[in-house]
Amino acid sequence: MSENREQLAEMADGLFAGLRGGEFDTFQTQIGEAGFGLLLVPESSEGFGGDWGDLATVMRLAGKHALAWPLGEHILAARLLHDAGRHADALTLLAGESSIPWGREAGDVLVERDGQILLVSGEVSAGESPAGEPRDMVAYDWDRAVPLGIEADLFGLIAFLRVCQTAGALDAALELAIEHTGQREQFGRPLSKFQSVQQSIALLAVEAAAANCAAQGAAAALDRFGHGGDARFEIGAAKLRSNIAIKVGAALAHQVHGAIGFTQDYPLHELTRRMMGWRSEGGNDAYWSARLGAQTLEWGGQGLWDQITRRTDPG
Amino acid sequence: MQTFAVHPFEAPENAQSIRSDLRAFLAQHQPDKDPVLRANCWTEFDPAFSQALGAAGYLGMLWPSQYGGHERLPLERYIVLEELLAAGAPVGAHWIADRQTGPLLLRYGTEEQREKYLPGFAAGTMYACIGLSEPGSGSDLASVRSSARKTDAGWVLSGQKVWTTGAHISHAMLALMRSEESSERQSGLSQFLIDLDLPGITIRPIIDMFGTHHFNEVFFDDVLVPHGALVGKEGEGWKQATAELALERSGPERYLSSHALLAAVIDSLGPDASAEVTATIGRLVSEMWTLRQMSMSVAAKLASGVDPVVEASIVKDLGNTFEQEMPLAIQAVLDADLADGSDLSRLLATLLQVSPSFSLRGGTREILRGIIARGLGLR
Repeated sequence: MSENREQLAEMADGLFAGLRGGEFDTFQTQIGEAGFGLLLVPESSEGFGGDWGDLATVMRLAGKHALAWPLGEHILAARLLHDAGRHADALTLLAGESSIPWGREAGDVLVERDGQILLVSGEVSAGESPAGEPRDMVAYDWDRAVPLGIEADLFGLIAFLRVCQTAGALDAALELAIEHTGQREQFGRPLSKFQSVQQSIALLAVEAAAANCAAQGAAAALDRFGHGGDARFEIGAAKLRSNIAIKVGAALAHQVHGAIGFTQDYPLHELTRRMMGWRSEGGNDAYWSARLGAQTLEWGGQGLWDQITRRTDPG
Repeated sequence: MQTFAVHPFEAPENAQSIRSDLRAFLAQHQPDKDPVLRANCWTEFDPAFSQALGAAGYLGMLWPSQYGGHERLPLERYIVLEELLAAGAPVGAHWIADRQTGPLLLRYGTEEQREKYLPGFAAGTMYACIGLSEPGSGSDLASVRSSARKTDAGWVLSGQKVWTTGAHISHAMLALMRSEESSERQSGLSQFLIDLDLPGITIRPIIDMFGTHHFNEVFFDDVLVPHGALVGKEGEGWKQATAELALERSGPERYLSSHALLAAVIDSLGPDASAEVTATIGRLVSEMWTLRQMSMSVAAKLASGVDPVVEASIVKDLGNTFEQEMPLAIQAVLDADLADGSDLSRLLATLLQVSPSFSLRGGTREILRGIIARGLGLR
């Protein structure tokens, strides 16, 4: 981790922890003041000049603290607008699919239509994610859409955000599980001293590790190939793997918490409910397994290994 | 908290040339044998292949040149291992010597031991096996009963080791023996490097459930070994042996040893495969890709001098699970008749039978998860 990234992580960790349970508008002010929206905008344009690994770090922390704000969508929109020689005044968001988190709060939205990236606004009809957060449909006013003339894989980028958030959320669930089972006594000793509980938590740690490594691998591919879509293989592999991690990990986290983890008073639900929604966003298992499978069959058996290695080798 | 702090794998600049050199070597030396042997490839013994590999400089890659090593970088060696395993090369004969025994001698061995064994290990002409398990010990490796008694002439060894992979083709065994009489558990144990042609040693095959011979029982009947056979410090055997085990947890062999099946299935299918088969391939590839990220991250951490105990155990546990599930997942969707005699069916049938052992070898799933739990502060 670079020194810059370490500082960035510290700043994000503190800020997001402090925002827990707050108001949307407060978030907007504080996140704006901290300059997170400009994370991927180059320093020459007064941005932070971060890379995709930096974004992964910030989104991991957003996931860990269950940040209730469309941070990733905003960071990506600001970057793409910069690519197009523009900058965003209001809360511009990037939309990779039909519904948009906090669409009602958005100014303009970046969407892809017929292979073009457009800046557009529209009528919002309210919806809700499984976590109980706004997730709205927008009926776009295509007549007023502005083509940006840039290349980007919006859907893949949304998938990347969810993978990173999942990595953080699973680590947070693991932390809760360790804390809870260390404190809670049953049958005369802490739950964490039971071998079966230890084995469940170990398996949760394995899944959290898989999601974290998948996120980093996808970030490395984005750093290497850019956001035009060439990193789709790595992003897809990461999304598919993190969806498995959610399936296995969320169940284990709840298992070791017993009924306590199932209440609104206990913070585990903030993680579980979000993660369950993310499994659909940026492509579900069926979507990515079909894509990845088809790509692999095209490459062939030796070709798969050639591709996987060539895509990480220098040069 | 982050349990798996991801360490970036900075591949050496010459990564591609290492791969192409090795692929050229494999094209010349891949024995013209049954492709089924490429399944589970690091258990396949092929001394001729190991010698050729040693002669080409791919063994003892990190060791000092005075011992026949090649002083290459750890991540260069990692790339070589990846390529060998992905190709299903029969690396079983030299595997333990190159991966564990050699590094252990460099760390704890005497000058005499290094000079005696390392050049042969690096040449691919001498092989080693590990003597840890004993009858009744199972996963409880500290329950060692085999004894080493110190005499003026040397150490006298007696007892029995079991599940010893490759003892029948190995020149030496690195064994954990109880060197302090009536000591208990982890204390009073020492490691000895024992030449297997000494009088009093009997090696008997244990044939596994599908008829192949990898395992052995090894009996020590008052075997006299010189004082110089003691490795490291007397009584420190447990610490040394567990450090040795850590060397085997996170390498690419934890997710690539059965890669031949995945490659063969992909090649047999082509773009018109059913949606169900295609999706299964996609899912397996996503897991394999993720495991590679994880394994590379641990390799990078090891190369930087850190010993990531928890991360390595995580990779091993997940890798074992992946390799165990892969043949079953393929069987579940592939329209294959396991009796049709085709290479693919035989490959699949072989791995279906071997794969239940994948969560046992080199530490059972429960032991690994216990190590992870300890790392998380639960024990």
